[in-house]
Amino acid sequence: MTNNYNPRVIDHLVRPRNAGELEAPSGVGESGDAACGDVARFTVRIEENHLEEIRYKVYGCVACIAAGSALSELVWSKPLPEAARVSKVDLENALGGPLPAGKEHALTLVLDALHKALEDHWNRQAGEMLVEGYAGGFGRGTNGRKSVVAAMSGGVDSAVTALLLKEAGYDVVTVTFRLHDGERGSRSCCSPDTVLFARDTAHRMGLPHFTLNLKELFDRRVMKDFVGSYAAGRTPNPCVSCNAHVKFHAASFLADRLGFHNVATGHYARVVEEPGGAVTMARPADASKDQTYVLWPVPGELLSRTIFPLGEYRKEEVRRIAEERGLAVAYTPESQDICFIPDGNYRGFVRKKVAAEPGEIVDKGGRTLGKHAGVVDFTVGQRRGIGVSAPTPLYVTEVRPSQNQVVVGRRKDLEVREVCVGDLNWFLDCGEADSVQVRYNSAPVSCEIEDLGDGEVRARLAEPVMGVAPGQSAVFYKGDRMVGGGVVRQDA
Amino acid sequence: MQNDVVYLDHAATTPLDERVLEAMLPHLGRAPNGSPRGNPSSLHAPGVFAREAVEEARASVARLVGADDPGEILFTAGGTESDNLAVLGLAAADPDKKHVVISVVEHPAVREAAAHLEVAGYEVTSIGVDADGLVSPVELAGALRPDTALAAVMWANNEVGAVQPIEEIAAICQEVRVPLHVDAVQAAGRLPIDVSRIPVSTLALSAHKLYGPQGVGALYARGDIELEPVLFGGGQEKGLRSGTENVAGIAGFGEAARLAYEELADRTRHEEALREALISGATGIPGVRLNGHREKRLSSNIHVSVEGVDAESLVLFLDALGCAVGSGSACASSTAGHKASPILLAMARTPEEAISSIRITVGKDTTQQEVNTFLDSFATAVTQLRELSPLYTSKN
Repeated sequence: MTNNYNPRVIDHLVRPRNAGELEAPSGVGESGDAACGDVARFTVRIEENHLEEIRYKVYGCVACIAAGSALSELVWSKPLPEAARVSKVDLENALGGPLPAGKEHALTLVLDALHKALEDHWNRQAGEMLVEGYAGGFGRGTNGRKSVVAAMSGGVDSAVTALLLKEAGYDVVTVTFRLHDGERGSRSCCSPDTVLFARDTAHRMGLPHFTLNLKELFDRRVMKDFVGSYAAGRTPNPCVSCNAHVKFHAASFLADRLGFHNVATGHYARVVEEPGGAVTMARPADASKDQTYVLWPVPGELLSRTIFPLGEYRKEEVRRIAEERGLAVAYTPESQDICFIPDGNYRGFVRKKVAAEPGEIVDKGGRTLGKHAGVVDFTVGQRRGIGVSAPTPLYVTEVRPSQNQVVVGRRKDLEVREVCVGDLNWFLDCGEADSVQVRYNSAPVSCEIEDLGDGEVRARLAEPVMGVAPGQSAVFYKGDRMVGGGVVRQDA
Repeated sequence: MQNDVVYLDHAATTPLDERVLEAMLPHLGRAPNGSPRGNPSSLHAPGVFAREAVEEARASVARLVGADDPGEILFTAGGTESDNLAVLGLAAADPDKKHVVISVVEHPAVREAAAHLEVAGYEVTSIGVDADGLVSPVELAGALRPDTALAAVMWANNEVGAVQPIEEIAAICQEVRVPLHVDAVQAAGRLPIDVSRIPVSTLALSAHKLYGPQGVGALYARGDIELEPVLFGGGQEKGLRSGTENVAGIAGFGEAARLAYEELADRTRHEEALREALISGATGIPGVRLNGHREKRLSSNIHVSVEGVDAESLVLFLDALGCAVGSGSACASSTAGHKASPILLAMARTPEEAISSIRITVGKDTTQQEVNTFLDSFATAVTQLRELSPLYTSKN
């Protein structure tokens, strides 16, 4: 490590290439801030997935100015995936070797500004899609090659997904979605630092990386629904909402724009084609990581272009692959919590968003047992934090937002023998279902299905099940095949 | 490096004067009488030759600062060592007193020595400066206590060139009998210094800031002052600075001090004229602001904040155009990353102003032609860097 700049860096300082600003750019990206002393700004003109023109401006140290200049040369007139593949190492090589100690941030800064300009380009292309959801014709690109857009969260599963696809001969482009603002420095997915980490990971694998800003779509389709569910006495599942409206749609949008055929995520599930040609999901090789339960709302048209490479692997194998290939993500912790609530305090999150009115806690006979501070604090099946003492443990059996009441009872009162399910998404004929799963990681229960019409079915369970909460997903299987899924109705 | 560099970083180091080099050569194995190199402590002829050179230099340095007795000059390895010896040595000489007062704009050699004392249990009071970088004698007087072991205020600041009211400060310290250490590394050779008139206790000097060699300094220590050594060994320099003397360096320092004394008025007049041309030229560009007191500043120093421009980029841009200037002080700018100068922050400058500041320091041999060349390059660099900035918008 040297403390001096080499002559190539100084040349970029004195004769910056492509300095300036485009008048009618198709994307603008800025990174850094004046308080930390460095700001980079790129404007790009993109036509037919080609970076036709680029201009840059930098305020900051020599390293930042030179890195911006060198980056603009590296990506000039490149196809977008090539531009999005340029890594910190490429940039350092273009600058004639390592920068002086303490100046490495320059590489991150200018790459981030360029990538934000590309992100801005996609967001302009996407228009309403990133607010309303992708309603496009799901037209598949055919560039004649095996090609896939792989979603990258920054964790080990998505990294290995992209790697396996690359090794299987696919043209791989990775994408990270900005879903919420998160907390800077937190390890929650989709936070600003996680985007940088995901980009590094993709670049280390030699893969292009894009970002899409889906904050508005995510807020509308996932976070508002999450908060609204609590207020309405339902138990939300934000991962399900995201899979239903956000993640697969956005990946498909990008694939279509790039002319790519497939999309992929790091879910543990398998996509299978039934003898009749119907495409559905099957449980993965690693039963302990089975994520099919949260994938039921993925539209069939999208599922049929989806690849889940990890469906054939066990988690230990995935970590081992990451280790063997030297991916830094091999040791990232398992994400457990809801991504936009990294501290796991769901109640605290919801309470910041909705006002809570105190009300009564009653038994099923209507007798008042105590007071609560707001129905948002309760979900069906809950035992802790009820605040009423009783000789036998009490459970929440019902939440009635309209009366501002929480109904409690004994464990036995939670048992249900039938479940009413709406918002259905079928991959196979509903009559084929032989079992239903009503919670993540719970065993499926044998059932018979009755079609109630109006997009609802009733599942009669072979044995009583505890705590089926309205708002939860009910997912139907035939053996290890998914038949379809839906949302448990309030009046079940 | 190009030969035609416009060198405007004399506060970092000055070129070695040819006459100084000539004075050093006899002690680098080129004695005219063929004498081998001797150790000043030796009794034989080569030893005497070396010792006489050291004592002659001591007399020259004493004369430069107005010391009556050359024995009050101790040679060291540079300004930093002199500052350390003074701060640590004065504190150690009066071990019952555990309080030290320094100004917030001291050179790191003083600040860090004081911080070292703080770790050892001393209390350190830092007194501030006004927006021009000047220490208030009244504030200093208020900070002195019966248990104050020493105060340290520099004569002229190395970054912004502010010249402190040392005469008043010395009088205050003398009155309450607190030893005063003065870092005169930047002042010596640019301002008249007369310790026979101004009662400082110790005074740090460095040869390479006045056209002498690097690696040699001196500490003036008033005859009646108590001082403990920080180096231990053969007892050279009255036991206060053990170690065989850097004879060639000291001889060079002596010659540099002699020339500085004789040429002081001419040098100052010459530098001031160039300084004024630089100030009016540089601040003629919009968004360029002079730091430090307009009049109470070193003849050699121009320090400006350049709005919308990062100092490192400006310094290296100018370097590429053949002009060598400083960003902050050389010590502060060698560390990686953006470190706002604590001196500018103490002068109530914003961090943005502090990281956009450069120091331009002329010397006795700087020419008007060089100043003109610099001003052209400065305008070019500032314009281009501002054009490149996504933040800067001209306020015309």
